Amino acid sequence: MSTPVAHTVAVRTRGIDMFFGDGETKVTALKQADFEANRGELIMLVGPSGCGKTTLLSVIAGTLTPQTGTVEVFGQRLDGLSQEELTSFRRKHLGFVFQSFNLIPTLTVLENVMVPLLIQGASQDVAVAKARAMLEKVGLKGREDGRPNALSGGQQQRVAIARALVHEPSLLICDEPTSALDKDTGAQIMQMVRDLSRSPERCVVVVTHDHRIFRFADRIAEMEDGRIRRVVADASLLDTNHL
Amino acid sequence: MYRLALNMLFGDRAKLAMLLCGLAFSALLMAQQTSVFFGIMSWTYTPVHNIRAPIWVSDPMVEQANDAKPMRDTDLYRVRSVDGVAWAAPLHTSFLQARMQDGNFKLITMVGIDADTFAGAPAVLSQGRIEDLRLPNTVIVDEWGAQLMGRVTKGPDGKDVVIPLKVGDTFEVNDLEARIVGICKVRRAFTGGPFVYTTYDRTKQYTLGARRTLSFMLVEPQAGVDPVKLCARIEADTGLKAWTSDTVIWSWSDTSLARNTFWWFWKNTGIPFSFGTAVALGLFVGIAVSGQTFYSFVLENLKYFAAIKAMGAGMGVIARMLLVQAFTAGLLGFGLGVGMAQAIGRAMIEKGMPPFVMFPQIFWATLALVLGISLVSAIIGIIKVSRVDAATVFRG
Ligand SMILES: Nc1ncnc2c1ncn2[C@@H]1O[C@H](COP(=O)(O)OP(=O)(O)O)[C@@H](O)[C@H]1O
Ligand SMILES: [Mg+2]
Repeated sequence: MSTPVAHTVAVRTRGIDMFFGDGETKVTALKQADFEANRGELIMLVGPSGCGKTTLLSVIAGTLTPQTGTVEVFGQRLDGLSQEELTSFRRKHLGFVFQSFNLIPTLTVLENVMVPLLIQGASQDVAVAKARAMLEKVGLKGREDGRPNALSGGQQQRVAIARALVHEPSLLICDEPTSALDKDTGAQIMQMVRDLSRSPERCVVVVTHDHRIFRFADRIAEMEDGRIRRVVADASLLDTNHL
Repeated sequence: MYRLALNMLFGDRAKLAMLLCGLAFSALLMAQQTSVFFGIMSWTYTPVHNIRAPIWVSDPMVEQANDAKPMRDTDLYRVRSVDGVAWAAPLHTSFLQARMQDGNFKLITMVGIDADTFAGAPAVLSQGRIEDLRLPNTVIVDEWGAQLMGRVTKGPDGKDVVIPLKVGDTFEVNDLEARIVGICKVRRAFTGGPFVYTTYDRTKQYTLGARRTLSFMLVEPQAGVDPVKLCARIEADTGLKAWTSDTVIWSWSDTSLARNTFWWFWKNTGIPFSFGTAVALGLFVGIAVSGQTFYSFVLENLKYFAAIKAMGAGMGVIARMLLVQAFTAGLLGFGLGVGMAQAIGRAMIEKGMPPFVMFPQIFWATLALVLGISLVSAIIGIIKVSRVDAATVFRG
């Protein structure tokens, strides 16, 4: 009993309700969503399209504020924080990998990776050095000065991974990171996420409905109709036809 | 981050070129239209500019410099006797027909200046000497006039070539010979054709002994006498009208001949209206084009600003990034546009048409407008980015 549960939990949501619009057009995206992820693990959030995965991810990332419920990330309660406090929280603790890469096309590969560091106020020199080292880790040494659009989809997503990890965030959030990629490239990308992001203190949450990458997860949380249906440790326990 | 903001701006050469073209085009339009407008308007007071004298005296009914209501020659003595006047010289101006060697007639503006003092003589002669005007039947023609009155022949390539008048050439005014002894550089006028300078006394012959030829008197105050006060004294003593010769049209001074001329044309002719609409159109199109180009630049980058926002950049940083981009683009576009306006203006001045005067006011007003447009576009962009949900970056 040396490690109390509270210390290993990285993300915890309780009783989250999230709806969009009101009246006739009201859509309930999350209802009583309870979710937990631990430090040092890579957890996947899976489920059919429209079940609320992206919404839950946004709540955890502090880019959406739910109508009810509590959100706790690394001991910090996000509900009740102001926009500025949320922004500052994201700046310090979060890394993002998006489905559509979201790299800035007019900046070089290196400059794209520097963005999170510069937002944190790092000096140009420090940012350049760290971004270079990170690009080397994702196997893009020599491509620093090119434009993202000159790279393949897989390479662009690697740039995104470098950008998401360069400032060593404690929470890495990936929304459908492989859905724009073919099977082999997707597997390579997930392998890279696993290799580079694993650390005892970091938590990685990956939203996907790509069952081919389920094997990279430590645990899988299955969502249905805005809530977590169950959490399993092995993809084989899921009824994949259902997804 | 500001360096990145600039790199974002300069990263896409094609889009940057479009943006700068839009801004430069509108700056060009604004500066060009207003400069040509004021150029044309400043031609109205060309006589004040060309004929340099501290004080002008005219008939009391005269309202502006192109207006001649001749006075009696004896009025000259009355003005000379006013306390504080160092000297007063006569000036004649009239429109006459000149008959060229080939038989063609040309409309000219004859300017008669005092042969003793040469008061009102052109400042710069590119050929000849002013003193030669004392020789019989002599005139000095301005450079542009020498072109207009020149002989047209066919060049070797079959194109028309103008051979400008030069020293030694002659023409006739009212059957009297006029022999050119000098070519001068003066500013062009709104109403006047070629300027033909001769002596005041000789204008009586060229005008076939018109009863009155004293269009204006040019007055020099004694040392230490304030021109404005002297004007008042001349008016009180003689009942004539006295004017100062400053060309500051943006003042409230009531004595300035240039200013009164400028605003007389403003009020009494259609020029401000017809050109004013072109200027207003230029301003309007300029504002629309540059606002639109910069705004679409902001819209295109909205998605990326949303991503930067999601990654934890505060609105303060994003606002400053947008402002850096806006002002950089604005300044570059302004520089290009005003540079082009100047270049086109220079070329026009060389061709003599149309006039181009870029007052410092026009320069600064254009700068303020372009930066104002950039600022407004940036503010709209900032509002857009502040409204965009950081969560949208997750949605395709
Ligand atoms: N901004 C929004 N406005 C209205 N409805 C939304 C918005 N975002 C999500 N939704 C709705 O919420 C539900 C869950 O969406 P989402 O979290 O994107 O699902 P998933 O990522 O699992 O496909 C869907 O029905 C979707 O249409
Ligand atoms: Mg989704």
